[in-house]
Amino acid sequence: MNDPAVWADRLHKEFASVVAVDDVSLEVGRGEVFGLLGPNGAGKTTAIRMLMDILRPDSGTARVLGQPPGAARARVGYLPEERGLYRGLRVHECLTYFGQLKGLSRAAAAQRATQLLERVELADRAKAKVQELSRGMHQKLQLATTLIHDPELVILDEPFQGLDPVNVDLVRGLIRELRAQGRTVVLSAHEMSLVESLCERIALINRGRIVLYGALADLKRQFAPNALEVSPPLDCAGWPEVEAVAPDSRTPDRQRVYLRPGVTTRDFLKALLERGQIVERFEPASMPLDEIFIKVVKEAQHV
Amino acid sequence: MSKRLWTIAWHEYLTNVRRPGYIFATLLVPALGLIGLIVATFFSGQAGAFLESQFTPDGPTLIGVVDHSGLFQQVPAGFADQYRAFADEEAARQALLADELRAYVVIAADYVATGALTAYARDDLQTAMSVDPDDLAPFLIDGMLAGHVDDSVRRRAADPANSAQVQLVTLDEAGAPVAAAADNPFSFLGGMLTSLGVSLLLFISIMVSSNYLLRSVSEEKENRVMELLVSSVSPSDLLWGKVIGLGAVGLTQVGVWMVAGVLLTGGLAALAVGVLAALNVGTLLLALVYFVLGYLLYGILMATAGSLGTSMRESQQIGGLFSFGAAVPWMINGFLIANPNMLLARGLSWFPLTAPMMMMLRLPYGTVPVIDIVGSLAVLALSVPAVMWAGSKVFRTSLLMYGKRLSVREILAALRRA
Repeated sequence: MNDPAVWADRLHKEFASVVAVDDVSLEVGRGEVFGLLGPNGAGKTTAIRMLMDILRPDSGTARVLGQPPGAARARVGYLPEERGLYRGLRVHECLTYFGQLKGLSRAAAAQRATQLLERVELADRAKAKVQELSRGMHQKLQLATTLIHDPELVILDEPFQGLDPVNVDLVRGLIRELRAQGRTVVLSAHEMSLVESLCERIALINRGRIVLYGALADLKRQFAPNALEVSPPLDCAGWPEVEAVAPDSRTPDRQRVYLRPGVTTRDFLKALLERGQIVERFEPASMPLDEIFIKVVKEAQHV
Repeated sequence: MSKRLWTIAWHEYLTNVRRPGYIFATLLVPALGLIGLIVATFFSGQAGAFLESQFTPDGPTLIGVVDHSGLFQQVPAGFADQYRAFADEEAARQALLADELRAYVVIAADYVATGALTAYARDDLQTAMSVDPDDLAPFLIDGMLAGHVDDSVRRRAADPANSAQVQLVTLDEAGAPVAAAADNPFSFLGGMLTSLGVSLLLFISIMVSSNYLLRSVSEEKENRVMELLVSSVSPSDLLWGKVIGLGAVGLTQVGVWMVAGVLLTGGLAALAVGVLAALNVGTLLLALVYFVLGYLLYGILMATAGSLGTSMRESQQIGGLFSFGAAVPWMINGFLIANPNMLLARGLSWFPLTAPMMMMLRLPYGTVPVIDIVGSLAVLALSVPAVMWAGSKVFRTSLLMYGKRLSVREILAALRRA
């Protein structure tokens, strides 16, 4: 990858006797939305903190926007997992202050704060104190704080936590806007369907190690190598090419067909045509991300 | 110094001076002073007058003298407005009962041998308390010496030590007079007062300011703002910004208190400070230097303490350990009058945590060896960057520890990772 937004090489961090991050290497390209996934306590937040120069790695190196961690602070927007704001300040004031800390002039920060409050639908609360906001509003303000200086790279640690569906949609819309503007987004989240709808590439971390890494579409196919998604559903359970048939858990009008070992997609298509079946949709099956997640994490537990 | 440092300092200043708690505390001290002043005025007007009437009756002031010894037949010229001679006791008694006299004294025939006197007064508390045999001494001495010695000796005998002319010269170990004491009989007292006043002011300023720092850091940790902050600015910008901003917050408070003090005492405090400054400009300049260095040292320590605790209360307990260090010099203050250069005081002057307060207590006596001043300033000046270095390491490690305090081992590990 040429000039990646984030580049980590064998990052390693231990706390007392616990290995929090175990030789993690990854790259995030410019302009992509990258998902950092993993169960609670897997080491995602520790990895992110090392990228933000909040923690120093025991070994390994990292570059953020081509500079050592911390050097590019002003070009990075970070939404920490443990987050809060000055509770006694007014919403607009608080946002402006963080803009100034990120290097904007006071006037520029104030102007940008007004815009962002509009965007996250908090304009009418600009004069309210931060402590008077509801949890969801607080979250949106926190996100606005992350974006106040129009950063090139945005690192979001659990941005959907505590949001209702309407606000989840708003935040998803924001992330899509960022991508459309060519910004890079690193997203850590537990909501797999959101990750699937937003990220091009992911890394799955379990117990400090990267266990899956790559383009989401490839990974999903890799986990369902000999199956097909077919619609409308057809009665093919008894065919010699077919090992098993299962309804698609997410879209009931589709069907997942598992082929016997040695049978190719081409063989099955031929069989379909020979039997004169009407097929509207026919594609190699991919495993939903949440299933991959559960499978990988559970397998690791048995090892 | 980065621009952000000043943004932080200004922000800390503004948000803190606007807090209701701060405004309350800032105004409380002058308000208490004002109440005290009103109460004092009331008492000096009402109760004062009452007390005065108890001890200085507004009745007659004359004292009658009935002399059987033959020494006091005539009242000496200098005492005519206080004493009147009577030929016999009956005449004196009549004058007392007619309220012409406060009391009368009968001097026995064998007075010179026995010193026997009898005083007669009306039977009420006021009068009885106002007749003190010692008050008679100058009159008696003068009367006895009349005609025996010359007048100047007589007057001196009645007032042997003129307090306005008494001088005290203190000598150092070599026997040379100590300059400050020789110049002015009150400079020793002045030194003591400057010493107490300036070091008290120093102590209050440093403690008030550094406590704001502790609160601010601990609050940011409780509010979970810390991680966002250190992802925006470097920990040292953050610490310095806070140290400067909150130092100004504390100084503003102490400043308001001082101005209020000057106004409430009708400029008396300003006059006192002016007199003391005239006494020793150098001491006050040094006080400023000790304040700046002392505040930096304590400020950084308190900020680190703020980041160490899991809650404000816990942080304050840790910070209390440092405050104790600042209070130690006060405990030995009593011994300084005897010897401002005692070994313990010198030792504490060289220890950074106690140096500002200890030196402020010693300096006004004017006898501190120059090496102690230079040494303690050097140790302080060197310890500030050292504490800043260590503080930001610990700060960085501890500020992400929510609900868990750093162990001593973890603190040491943080320090090793330079």
